[in-house]
Order: sequence, then C-alpha cells, then structure tokens
Amino acid sequence: MNGLIIICGLGLLAMISEIFKFRSVLFPLVLTGLLAALALNVWEWNNPMHISYFENMIGFDRSALAFSTVILAIALLWFVLAQDYFKSGQHLVDHYALVLFALAGALMLTGCKNMTTLFLGIETLSIPMYVLAASKKNDLKSNEAGFKYLIMGSFASGFLLFGIALVYGATASFDFEEIKAYIAVFQGELPGFFYVGVIFILIAMAFKIAVAPFHFWAPDVYEGSPVLITGLMSTVVKTAAFAAFMRLFMMCFSNVSELWVTLLAVIVALSLAVSNFTAVMQTNTKRMLAYSSISHAAFMLMIIMSDKGETASVNSLIYYSLAYSLASLSAFAVIYLVSKNGSEDITELNGLHKRNRLLTITLTIALLSLAGIPVTAGFFAKYFVLSQIPSDTLLWLTILAIISSTIAAFYYLKIVGSMFFADSYTKEPIVVQKSHAFVLIVCVVLLLLFGMVPGLITELALY
Amino acid sequence: MINGVSIDFYLVLSAVLFTIGAVGVFVRRNTIILFMCIELMLSAVSLLMIAFSTLHNDTSGQVFVFFTMAVAAAEVAVGLAILSMIYRNSKSIDSDTLSNLKN
Amino acid sequence: MMKLAALVPLFPLVGFILNGLFGKKMSKGLSGTIASVAMLLSFGISLAVFLELQTAENKATVINLFSWISSDTLQVPFEFLIDPLSSVFLLIITGIGFLIHIYSLGYMKHDDAFARFFAYLNLFVFFMLLLVMGNNYLILFMGWEGVGLCSYLLIGFWFKNNAYNDAAKKAFIINRIGDLGFLLGIFLIFTTYGSTTFGDIFPNAGMASPAVVTTIALLLFFGATGKSAQIPLFTWLPDAMAGPTPVSALIHAATMVTAGVYMIVRSNIFYSMSETASAVVAIVGLATALIAALIGLFQNDIKKILAYSTVSQLGLMFLGLGAGAFSSSVFHVTTHAFFKALLFLAAGSVIHAMGGEQDIRKMGGLKGKIKITFITMLIGTIAISGIPPLSGFFSKDEIMAHVFEYNGLLWFFAMIVSALTAFYMFRLIFLTFYGKFRGTSEQEHHLHESPPTMTIPLVVLAALAIFGGLLGLPEFWGMSNWMAENLDTIIMHHHETRLSHQTEWILMGLAVVSALIIILIAYNVYRKKGLVPVEKEQQLKDWQRPIFHKFYVDEIYDFLVRRPVDFLSESFYKVLDLQVVSLLVDGIGNSVKTFGSYIRLIQNGNVSTYIVGMVMSIICILLFIFLI
Repeated sequence: MNGLIIICGLGLLAMISEIFKFRSVLFPLVLTGLLAALALNVWEWNNPMHISYFENMIGFDRSALAFSTVILAIALLWFVLAQDYFKSGQHLVDHYALVLFALAGALMLTGCKNMTTLFLGIETLSIPMYVLAASKKNDLKSNEAGFKYLIMGSFASGFLLFGIALVYGATASFDFEEIKAYIAVFQGELPGFFYVGVIFILIAMAFKIAVAPFHFWAPDVYEGSPVLITGLMSTVVKTAAFAAFMRLFMMCFSNVSELWVTLLAVIVALSLAVSNFTAVMQTNTKRMLAYSSISHAAFMLMIIMSDKGETASVNSLIYYSLAYSLASLSAFAVIYLVSKNGSEDITELNGLHKRNRLLTITLTIALLSLAGIPVTAGFFAKYFVLSQIPSDTLLWLTILAIISSTIAAFYYLKIVGSMFFADSYTKEPIVVQKSHAFVLIVCVVLLLLFGMVPGLITELALY
Repeated sequence: MINGVSIDFYLVLSAVLFTIGAVGVFVRRNTIILFMCIELMLSAVSLLMIAFSTLHNDTSGQVFVFFTMAVAAAEVAVGLAILSMIYRNSKSIDSDTLSNLKN
Repeated sequence: MMKLAALVPLFPLVGFILNGLFGKKMSKGLSGTIASVAMLLSFGISLAVFLELQTAENKATVINLFSWISSDTLQVPFEFLIDPLSSVFLLIITGIGFLIHIYSLGYMKHDDAFARFFAYLNLFVFFMLLLVMGNNYLILFMGWEGVGLCSYLLIGFWFKNNAYNDAAKKAFIINRIGDLGFLLGIFLIFTTYGSTTFGDIFPNAGMASPAVVTTIALLLFFGATGKSAQIPLFTWLPDAMAGPTPVSALIHAATMVTAGVYMIVRSNIFYSMSETASAVVAIVGLATALIAALIGLFQNDIKKILAYSTVSQLGLMFLGLGAGAFSSSVFHVTTHAFFKALLFLAAGSVIHAMGGEQDIRKMGGLKGKIKITFITMLIGTIAISGIPPLSGFFSKDEIMAHVFEYNGLLWFFAMIVSALTAFYMFRLIFLTFYGKFRGTSEQEHHLHESPPTMTIPLVVLAALAIFGGLLGLPEFWGMSNWMAENLDTIIMHHHETRLSHQTEWILMGLAVVSALIIILIAYNVYRKKGLVPVEKEQQLKDWQRPIFHKFYVDEIYDFLVRRPVDFLSESFYKVLDLQVVSLLVDGIGNSVKTFGSYIRLIQNGNVSTYIVGMVMSIICILLFIFLI
C-alpha cells in the first residue's frame, strides 16, 4: 500500500514540477521514489500488519506484494532505460506523470479486492497508456495506435462495466469476498444474467491481457506505439492485468469455475494457434513480439485453469510474469537501441553481433527465454505451466501448447540465427551508454539466475 | 419492483441501449460518432447500475456510477485530443483512413 | 562452522568470474593472485571443516542453500553434504588444486592467455567441488558435466593447434557416451525411489528388486568408465595430455578422473547389494589396469607414460571397488593424488627445462642439471611402485589384500600390473635422468632448474607422497587405519577381512620383493646396458607391435564405431534427411506459413472489423454457454 501511495505522490510531484521548476531533479527523484516503494514493499512483506484498506477495497497480501514488487522492479529498470526518451521529446514532464499514474493503476490492480478498485485500476492504467501510445504526435502511426487502443479499450470497458452491473444486480455487492460468499450460498438459484455478467467481465479482462479473439488491438498498438511504451505495455500492463485476472477468478468467481474453465481453454487454444501462426510471417520486430506476447498471455491463462491449489498457481504466475517481463523488457530495450538510428524491421537485426556484442547476447538470451529453452527462466516458466494443467481433462491443450511452442521456437531462433550469420547492410558499431548496458546486464543475469534457480521465486511463502 | 416497474424492464432497456451503442461502434465511420456510441454504452450501464442500486437499497451502486462518469469523461477527453492530432496529421476523421497498421 | 562449507565452492566461482570478465584488463600477477588466493581460502575453510568433522558428533551435515527445482513430484533442493567422504575429497581438491595453481604461476608465465587459463582452472575447481559436495545426484551430475566442460576447454586450451582441438573433442564426446549411462542411472534411481537425494535413497535401497539395483549399479558404473577412463571408454585420457601440464596433473590425474571412484563409493550400497555389478566393476578395472600398464611399457612420451599409468592406477582402484574395498580405494585415490600430481608436475618441470621436448628418447642425464625435479620425481616413482614406507605402498597393499580375499586369480593379475608399473616407471626415470644427454646442443644449453613457484609445490607434494601412508596404516600391524575408520559411516555394508596376519605378511612381502626385482631388471636393461627405445616401428619384435600400437584400440573403434556411424549418417542424410525429413519439415513449415498468411488477413487494420470480430466472438460465446 505504501508503494501505491508513493507512486501516486510521485505522479503529482511530476505534474507540479513544471510549475515549481524542479524538473531537472525529477529523474533522480523518480528513481529514489521507486526504490523507496520497493523497500517498503519488502518491509510490508516482513511486517504484515495492515493488509486491508478502505473498507476492504484494497488488500495488499503477500501475493499482491509479490506482483507489485515485480511491477516496481520492472518499472525501475524501465525508467533507467527510458532516461533519454524523457530528455528528447516535448512535454516530458507529462510523460513522467502519465507513466507514474499508469504505474499507480497497475499497483491498484495487484491489490484490488472490490469491483470498484478493479475498474478504477484498469482505467487508471489504461487511460495514460492511450495517451502514451499516441505520444509521437507527428507520427500518424502512433496516433492511429493510440486511437485504436482507446476505441477498443473503452469498448471493452463498456463490457466490463456491464458485467459488473449484472453481477452487482445478482449479488448486491461489489466486494470480491462477499460475492464469493453469496455465490457459495445461492449456487443454483442465481439469475441467468449473473452468468452473462461473469462472462462479460471475463471477456473484458481477456481484452486487457490481449488473448484471441480479443487480441486484435495488440499487434497494431504494439507496432504503432513508441518502442519504450510498447515495452511498458508488454511488461507492467500485462503483469498487472494478470494479477487482477487471477484475483478476480480465483478469489471471487472460483465457485462458478465450470462456467469459465472451458471458455478459457478455448480462448487459450485459439490464442496459441493464431499468435504463433501469424508471428511466423511478421517482418516488423515489434509486431512479432506482439504476437509472441499473445501466445505468452495464453500460457499464463493456463495457470489460472490449474487445479493444483492456489499457492502453486500464484507462484507459477509470478514466476512466469517475471520471466516474461524480463525477457520482453530486454528484447524491447535492444530493439529500442538498434532502431534509434534505423528501422524496426527484423532485417535490421541481421549481423548484429558484428555491430555490438552486448546487444546480441542480451537479445539471444531474451529470445531463448521467450522460446523456453533451458538455463533461461523461460524454460521453467513454461515447465511449471505445463505441469499444472489438469492432465486428465485438458491433455489436448497441453499437446497444443507444446506444438505451438515449437512453432514459436522457430521464429525466435530465426532471429538469433540472423543476428549471428546474416550479413548486415552496415557494419557501423552501435554505441550503448553505460546506464543502458546496466539494464541489459541486469536483465540477462536475472534471466539466467532464475533459470538456474527457479526456487528463488517459486519457494516464496505467499500465505 | 422499483416504483411499480419490474427490474426486468430496466434490464431490457439498458441492454437495448447498450446494444445500440455497440452496433453503432462498428457501423459508423465517423470517429466522433464512435465516441458518442461508446458513451451510450456506458450510460446504459449507469442506468442499470442505478436501477439495481435502488432495487437492493444499496447506495454503493450509485457511487460506482460517479466513478463511471468520471472515467467516461476522461476517456472522451483523451479521445478528442488524439482525434485532433489525427485530424492535424491526416485531415480526416474517418475511421477507415486509419488502417495503416495491419496484418 | 559447518555452514561455512558453503563458501568453499564460492571462492573459485568468484575467481572465475573476476578472471573471466576482467582478465584481459588485469596484469598477469593480479589474475594469478586472485585465482590462487581463492584456492587458498577454499583450502583453509575445507581444512577447518575437516578438522571440525573429526571431533563432531554428527558425521553428516546437510547444508540447505535454497530450493533448486520444485514442481509437483520433482523436488530438488540445492543442498551440500559434508561428511567424511566429501571432506576428504574437499581437502584433495582444494589442497592439491592450490599447489597446482602456484605451480601454474610459473609454468604458464609466458602464455598470453594467462587469465583465461586461471579462469578455467577456477571454474573447474568450482564444478569439482559441486560434484563432491552435492547432496543429490542432480548436483553431482551438474558438477560432473561442469568438470567435463572445463576438461574440454583446458585440453583444447591451445586451440590454435588442431590436433589439440581434436583431442579435446574426443575427450568430450567419449565422456558424453559415459554421461548418457549416468543420466539413465539417475532417471532409474528417480523412478525407483522417487528422489535424487542421497539421504532418501540409500536407507531405502533394499526396496527395489535385485534386477533394478544391478541395472542402476551398472548404469552408474558405465558413467564412471567415461569420466575415470576405464574400458571401453579409456582412449580419451592419453590424448587429453594435449592440455598444459598443470591441467594434466590437476584434472587428468588427481581429481576429475577420480570422480567415478567418488561416485561409486558414494553409491556403494548398490554395489554391496549386487554381486554381478561388483564383479563387472572388478573385472573391467583389472582389464583396464593390465592393458594400460602394457601399453605404458612402450610409450616414449613422458606425459603419455604417466597418462597410461593413471589409467592403470584408476583400474586398480576400480578393482578395489569391485572387491568391496571402498575405503581402500578412497585411500588410494588420496595417495595417488599426491604422487601422480607430483609426477606430472615434475614431468612438467622436465618439459619446461627441455624447452617443450616430451620424448624421453631425446632426454637422458638430466640428473645433475635439475636436481630438485629429479629427487622429487624419484620419490613419486618409488611411491607409485609400492616400495615401503612411501604412501603408494600402503594404499596399494590394502587393495591387494582385499583383492586376494575376493579372488586369487584377480590378485595374481593385479600383481602383474603392479610389477609392470614399477618397470615402466623406472624405465622413465633411467631414460630421463641417467645416461648421456641425447637431445640437441641447443637444448643442452637451455637446461635449467624451474623457478621456485614450480619447485616448491614439487617439494610439498613429495613430502605428501612420502608420508601420505600414515593416513591408513595396516590394521594387522597393530596400528589404527584412520582412513577406514573415518569412512566407516559412509560404507553401508562391511565385511571384515578374514585373512590371517601371516597371509597378510606374505602378501606384503611378495609385493615388495617383486617390485624390487622388477626395478633391478629395469636398472639392468636401461642403465647398465644403456638401451634406448628404437626409433622405428620395423625394429620392434612381433609380440611388441600390438602393444606399441596400443592394442589397436583406436583403430578398432574407428572400424567398429566411427565408420559404420559415418556410413549410416551419410545414408541417412542422403535418403532420410534429404528425401523424407526435408520434405516433411519444409512441408510443415510451409503450411504454417501459408496458414499464417491467411490468418493475418483478418488483421486488416480497420477498427470496425476488429470490433465486429469481438462482438461476433461474444455472441458465439453466449450462444455456446446458454444454448449448449
């Protein structure tokens, strides 16, 4: 909770910094604030005194703290990476404030225990992201990305609200625990529109995490947005949305799981097929990673269908989010650094190893992790997912997941191969400044560390 | 029953409004109309929420509607800002022209 | 204090990271110091841990570091096990490792890739420590693979020479074959006992059927034949001498090649339960010892002689393991580490003095020129030949006594091995250090004693080779055999020796007398008659020829394995790969692409289409839920 308060405070500070003329110290201020928030998270983890706030609308239990720590840590790395992004553009202070408020929304989502906080968290996260997606003002593609994100995002919000209203109508409460209790008591006597409500909420959440057939926005928005913003979308936004998804469906609707498990299975299967088949054909790196993120979202959804108990699922989801976020962040970081003076085309990565060794190694590790090759964190992430799917009923899904991983490995390894063996049109070396190199090295080390010692995350005592 | 009207009527009314809004979003090409359609969808939900709130004699539903209105206002503000940028860059507010990002 | 043992592998790891990352920027002195200090610290802690263990009540301490893999049925904690067995190995690895690091400071002084060498050496020590400290088969296996990797890197250290690279590849590939057996063994253990942790497996070993136990024991032994160079996988070790001499001393004599012995002693319960497996171990060990000793007779490369001697001694250790003499084998590992490291380092010193020459036919008369090297090497030779009271005598004799009890015939052949060992080792000494100098005059001028960084480790190891026998004095002398008592808790099934003291005295006497006679013969042939091995193959007698050609083992492997594999892979490539697999794979790949190119058309970039898609999906979902 303290982390959330600090981030909100930082956002306000960023907004007034223009007026009171301290924008030059804003960057160190933000970093300090994020570090303080991380430290407070750790402190709260060890001293769980206050868990619930605002009439039980927000609760930072250990799973929420774990997710928010992941989000804050990734955001910290992101800020170090995005340092000169904030220097270059106009209205940079607004960008600080927007990112920080999006972050506040993400933290709120990790701790939501009420439909109100869920809705507010999603909107606080999304609205700044709409603006950030469109933040390259003179680039029509960026504008288009922002516009599509906004239209489809609000459309999905409409469904979320309709779903919430229907559930509220049936249970007379917005509180997750009360709804769960109500369902437990009146199971079988609930009105039909309650189920429609649950389905609508599920659809809206599926939109937010971008799984088929509600994924249409993701490739376009990922491609059109500035690279760093895309990096933020695929890490912080995705982790937060999944934290909320898990809380909602494991805390609140777990008693009607027969309603949504089959639906999720279909969504997962569809996402795996669509994303991996389409990703093979992509020529834009960001667009390819967008499809890759859809397939990873499908993997993460499988965790929610797990029947191995809440602790195991939450641990796996945290591990997966962390592994995916680190790999994705470092991949987008490399694309950002490579495309600074070039295009975002996949061919831009050809022969990268002759231009910069560090970038090549980072992207190789990141892609291997995304492909789920051992010694990287991605391997255990996928392994835990596959070991948790109920094997008797959903064996077909496991097989499909493995096949699609194979297809995915193809397009990841193709890039790895072309970085080492293809000829690039230029041999001009890419200079990486120290702070960027720091982020890349941290990401790679963590990916390998978690890949070798998954127990560091999966053994966290969540309850 | 709210003032002698069954809750089902409210439910159907808001569902119809919501559907009109949703259909409008994909039928119309003028982006400003798109925003209006989305607003219609949100208003339909607000109506339903207030109806349920009155039915359950529970004010939290009405408070929720305030949040909804605030968020809807923010969304429209952001949307119009983006739209003005698009208009500046492409001299058009037709949603069909915005299809550079594809496949 | 015990918990500190977790730091033992940490120091070499830190040394590796520092040297690996910043080695190029550091001076040679700094990188050498970092590596050596890391080893010294590890050795200090190992010693402290070892001493504490001697007085400790509880002989086995498990240090749980973190949970490594945890998933449903597979729980693998990252744990270290400190018990008498691992503490002995810790001392050998860090102690001898430290001496060899010091020696390398001098030996590698002129090499450009100084920091890389020390980085690899530290990494090797790290993995070797994991291997002996791990509390389950997976950590053991991780160390096992890690040392294999480092061995590969260090054999091919001078990678500009293609022959060296080939030797490195050979070592790596042959080890992989053994590793497959080991891995299958681990899988079988896991499926049988549901765990890979030693403490869960050994007390319940009896639960499995005898056939399963025998299979496990044989699979593990097959893994050991790779790493410890036993028949049929021994051919890589002599070639591995391509690496720098300190590497040969540390990896291919003192530590890594004894990993197989360690693993079998650790799993001794399986071998105690299966007579078949024990017999296989004993016979394979003896056959290896005999063949390697025979080949050793006709080698002229100073390091190859030592390499075959190592193979032969390892064979002897496995013979001991097969005969159930587990603690004797560990004892022999220890003394062997002392004198074989000594011999290799001394050989390195000779090579250093000769300016890189390794052929003993071109040496001779070095006795006066490099005194310290000569004396220390002589001590090593006496020790390995089993002359009392040097260390080799005690450990070898203990194994021999157990073998005699196990089977008289095996004992007889082992005596022959022992005699052959004495012969070829003294042949080495006489040809190298006595007689006239047979090299070029340029080499003669170059002759010089090595710097103190190289001679001091020699002296220390010589002292260890002399007094190492104190670790395991024979019980029938009325002394206490520390090694046997120490390892008491590790060995699951004991069998008391039933030999009378008289028999033991006779066996011991026979061994000493035969060794002395053989040395006299060697003296007669190579010193008195001054015989120098022939230059050309034609001058060899018929019976000598197969031995000279190492029994054509490489050629047989070439014929039996490599050529059929080449032929098969060629035909598979032409028929299966080009015609079937390519079509299939390309077909799948192309259909994925075609399919993908259609799917992506849905993504037409128009918001309205997307929203229609979403609404249609929602309608489908609702229909699906409420109508079906």
